[in-house]
Amino acid sequence: MIIRRWIKLTDTSVSLNGKKIETESCGHALLTHLYRERNDYPKFFKMDALSKLGFIATELLLHDESQRFQPRGDRAVIFIGKSGSLADDTNYQKTIADKDNYFPSPSVFVYTLPNIVTGEVAIRNKYYGETCFHVIDELRADKIADIISDAFQDADTTSVVGGWLECSDEEHFEAYLFIVEASADGQAPEWNKDTIREIINNN
Amino acid sequence: MDDLILELKKQIIEVLNLEDVKPEDIDDDAPLFGEGLGLDSIDALELIVLMEKNYGIKLKDPNQGKEIFKSVKVMADYIKNNRTK
Amino acid sequence: MIVKISDNIYSPLGVTTKQNYLAVKAGKSMSRLYSDRWQMAEPFFASLFEEGDVDNAFSLLGDATDYTDFEKICILSASRAIADAGIDASASDVQFFISTTKGNVSLLDYRPEKISADRVLLGVAAKKISEYFGNANVPMVVSNACISGVCAQIMAMRSLMSRRCKYAVVIGADSQCRFIVSGFQSFKALSQKRCKPYDATREGLNLGEAAGTIIYTIKEKEDIHQEDWIAVKGAIRNDANHISGPSRTGEGSYRALMTALGNEQAENLAFINAHGTATLYNDEMESIAISRAGLSSVPVNSLKGYYGHTMGAAGIIEPILSMHSIDDGTVLGTLGFESSDVSHPLILSSHNTSTDKHAFMKLLSGFGGCNAAMLYKKGDAL
Repeated sequence: MIIRRWIKLTDTSVSLNGKKIETESCGHALLTHLYRERNDYPKFFKMDALSKLGFIATELLLHDESQRFQPRGDRAVIFIGKSGSLADDTNYQKTIADKDNYFPSPSVFVYTLPNIVTGEVAIRNKYYGETCFHVIDELRADKIADIISDAFQDADTTSVVGGWLECSDEEHFEAYLFIVEASADGQAPEWNKDTIREIINNN
Repeated sequence: MDDLILELKKQIIEVLNLEDVKPEDIDDDAPLFGEGLGLDSIDALELIVLMEKNYGIKLKDPNQGKEIFKSVKVMADYIKNNRTK
Repeated sequence: MIVKISDNIYSPLGVTTKQNYLAVKAGKSMSRLYSDRWQMAEPFFASLFEEGDVDNAFSLLGDATDYTDFEKICILSASRAIADAGIDASASDVQFFISTTKGNVSLLDYRPEKISADRVLLGVAAKKISEYFGNANVPMVVSNACISGVCAQIMAMRSLMSRRCKYAVVIGADSQCRFIVSGFQSFKALSQKRCKPYDATREGLNLGEAAGTIIYTIKEKEDIHQEDWIAVKGAIRNDANHISGPSRTGEGSYRALMTALGNEQAENLAFINAHGTATLYNDEMESIAISRAGLSSVPVNSLKGYYGHTMGAAGIIEPILSMHSIDDGTVLGTLGFESSDVSHPLILSSHNTSTDKHAFMKLLSGFGGCNAAMLYKKGDAL
């Protein structure tokens, strides 16, 4: 497997394939700023912080892909994180914490599952393939490599959009996402724990 | 009644996260679901919460929402006649 | 081939798979209306552990105050499955997989002093569980809404195929709490009576809590025994339609079914154990998907009437019961079902029926538009 493209998107910086994208804002404002550059998906504002992170990171990763938005069943969306939906869980808890001001919010509750972000990416891009969210204790390049490599055991899967997607609250997050493909390619970096580690450490 | 309609529009924009919509963009009689604002099933549930939180109206049957949330005007009429807050 | 070597169900209906199977076969359920627990805004119908039962049972294994309810039921279930399998759970070739939707989320509401705040992180909770068994491998958690149980099995299968482990201990569990009940109440998704999967008068789901464990290993085909249960093929597919509403065409469910089915013939399947949550839309969607997949002639059942919707546990305990029912020549009845009104007719029964077939399909759907299917077969059906 090879890495076709990758993106680093954290609360303070953005790099696409190693090329830094200059930004002035950070945290929640950074994601909004990046959204405004295309401004074509108002549902963005309904998403929780984790989904906004996954949405924007994949938008940047996929924006000029040829035949984008052609429905496909051969691409999987696989995210791995540590906090899962904890940021939204905390927001939802606030809507039920006070017995005298008890108004559980369905639009917040729906995002209290970490895999919803995989659904948002699938809906946006018309991906009918595998979608899954995995949780591990910390950022581990070897586990990320294994989980995504294993996804190709599904004979229909020829491509994976995925990687580390971590959001602890609205202002603090980091994403390392990759387009990983089954094709052999002399030029593109190989998908393995060492390449992943190098990308994370050097950017 | 106009005050209520304006207040309602602002609340709808806020609770449904309609970031780029202004009150003047919402026509009083335009359908809220389907065309118009294109709201969905989760939005309908959130409007049920809005009715209780801001106006003290508890909808026992979520299917009542289909009739009550037809448009902002219909919603406002229902609130005017049933509010307890 | 991926072969089951042991299993366990730990639920309000019993602490062993056998107790659970016999209870379900006899039509029993612990689901009832709760008016007082957690002081919810409205009563809710659910299958929950009696207060104190889990702690009492756990006192034989360790200090109940060191672990959360979620962690305790995982350990209670896995310990029995591990003992039955006769494996050393601390060995480096044993890998833990945990399926859960909300894990220790109740800690956001109330956290006992002894439990550190980071236990709300699923990876940390999972480590507490795997470390209880002395296992040093980083446990893998799948949190993929209600399809997590089948997803965790698929991840286990892949790890075994990649030879990264020799034994996969797959635990699926969820504990109910105010957080979860209030959320489903805000979705108006719950029924205040026993749920009625596929029934014309169905009005929503019941919630439930349980833990289930399946331990898998990998065997060459020539080493498979007639009575072995094999996880043949699993698939996860998305509707790409809506984050909470099921697809009107059952797109993801249909694709998952077709992929898991492969070349298998419909007439070889004893039944499809479907999701059957008893919501208006889920059950209708499944009837469409099953019809599209050409499987309308296969009996369908749902076990949600016995346990409620056990979320992260559903994809583990429901296949376990299905396997044991086939071992018993039985298709378990759909408790709560009387007469159907889904648009694509399904073969459903409220009571148990007989079968001599040795394969079945598991089907699940979840929030986020995800769907999963898994084909299971006995060794003698290969």
